[in-house]
Amino acid sequence: MNRLILVMILLGLSSCQSVQPWERGALARPEMQLEVGKLGSALYRQVYFSKEASSGGSEVAGAGCGCN
Amino acid sequence: MKTKGKPSPILALTSAALSLPAFAVTQPVETELSIMTSSYKEGDIPAHKVLTGSDERYEIDIHQFHVLTPMGRNWGFSFNTSRETMSGASPQGTVEGLDGQPALIMSGATIRESRTEIGATTHRYFDNGYMGIGMSHSQENDYEADAVILSGEWDFNQKLATLAVGLSYSSDVIEPTDALLFGRVEKENKHSGSFTIGWTQVLNKTSVLQSGISLTKHDGYLADPYKLRDVRPDERSEWAVSLRYRRYAEKSNGAWHLDYRYYEDDFGVHSHTLQTAWHQNLGASFQIVPSVRYYSQREADFYLPFDDFTLPLTVNQSSDYRLSTYGAFTFGLKGIVNHNNWAITASFDRYISAKKYGLSDSEFEHPALVNFTLASIGFDIRF
Repeated sequence: MNRLILVMILLGLSSCQSVQPWERGALARPEMQLEVGKLGSALYRQVYFSKEASSGGSEVAGAGCGCN
Repeated sequence: MKTKGKPSPILALTSAALSLPAFAVTQPVETELSIMTSSYKEGDIPAHKVLTGSDERYEIDIHQFHVLTPMGRNWGFSFNTSRETMSGASPQGTVEGLDGQPALIMSGATIRESRTEIGATTHRYFDNGYMGIGMSHSQENDYEADAVILSGEWDFNQKLATLAVGLSYSSDVIEPTDALLFGRVEKENKHSGSFTIGWTQVLNKTSVLQSGISLTKHDGYLADPYKLRDVRPDERSEWAVSLRYRRYAEKSNGAWHLDYRYYEDDFGVHSHTLQTAWHQNLGASFQIVPSVRYYSQREADFYLPFDDFTLPLTVNQSSDYRLSTYGAFTFGLKGIVNHNNWAITASFDRYISAKKYGLSDSEFEHPALVNFTLASIGFDIRF
């Protein structure tokens, strides 16, 4: 699994192109952001954190809860 | 007439506007305010799976608020708060039923409680990134958590790549209710430290990839004091690796999101999470977002389908459904109405989980695996 992820990252980076600043219009669109909707993203993280055994990945943890 | 290799004045203006990094956090130029209210409801457990107690699961009302505002030339400040009020019953134990399948011991009375979280963060912005420090506090009648978070981002390669680093530390205290009455621990502590590093890379004019790794270490009291028998190690090390891919499709006027995470810890749990969404613009003011999330986890090494009361208290065991083997799907639909400086968002998600959806196998399905619906409506404004 770790090798597969590494290969995917390397494949992605190897396909990088030089993108001029005036060519970044699509990248700057709201729907292209890594997280769309701050409150919604925080809510999903909290729900999945409290109902599944897994957490983490791309965000540092905040204050926990005694969720049952 | 264009001069080869030299952008026109219009292009130069456009480039100035767009030279902001597409993905690194930049200083806000106006105040952003968001509110959201949500309703979370778990499906009841089938009565034949409940040996004693209530079959009604949790219902939670959630209210969230967030504000982000610029301060001076190089600073920004954000404040967020959330308030949850919840009621319902939760599983306290699992025993072998007459049919040989696990049967639940649920809490008898409906539990009513609330949780309030507040957090504040300040950012110092530089030409090529920012550094931030934040604090948060979470309060329940039996649980209190304080966290401090350090974060930073730096742009590289003409802002085509961003390195993000985050550190957090949380100190939690649990004081279970009715501890003396039910022989629960009276007061315990937990400490957690987390480190995250991520690399975001613009691949071309329409796509970007982020890869991230997080390491988390917990120590202290990690068991659930409300369960009849729940004994867990007093340390837990977790790591996760994630990939997030975004691609804009000009012809369709939409964006495709694909996220994957692999998670593993020294409890023996490992999991895969795959999520995809399509953000479809409909004209200039509307957007619709269908999404699917798949999750699969393998059970913890000390997970038992039935509580074993003959084992000594020094031997780890837990029948918590969150440590069992299962898989889950979330089906979501979100609609957004945009109008100049404000937006309204409404979303609905349905989560279903079962042993048969999991990639790993186990003999028994936990009877308390949760199904829930989550409905939200939010309002955002910039001024």
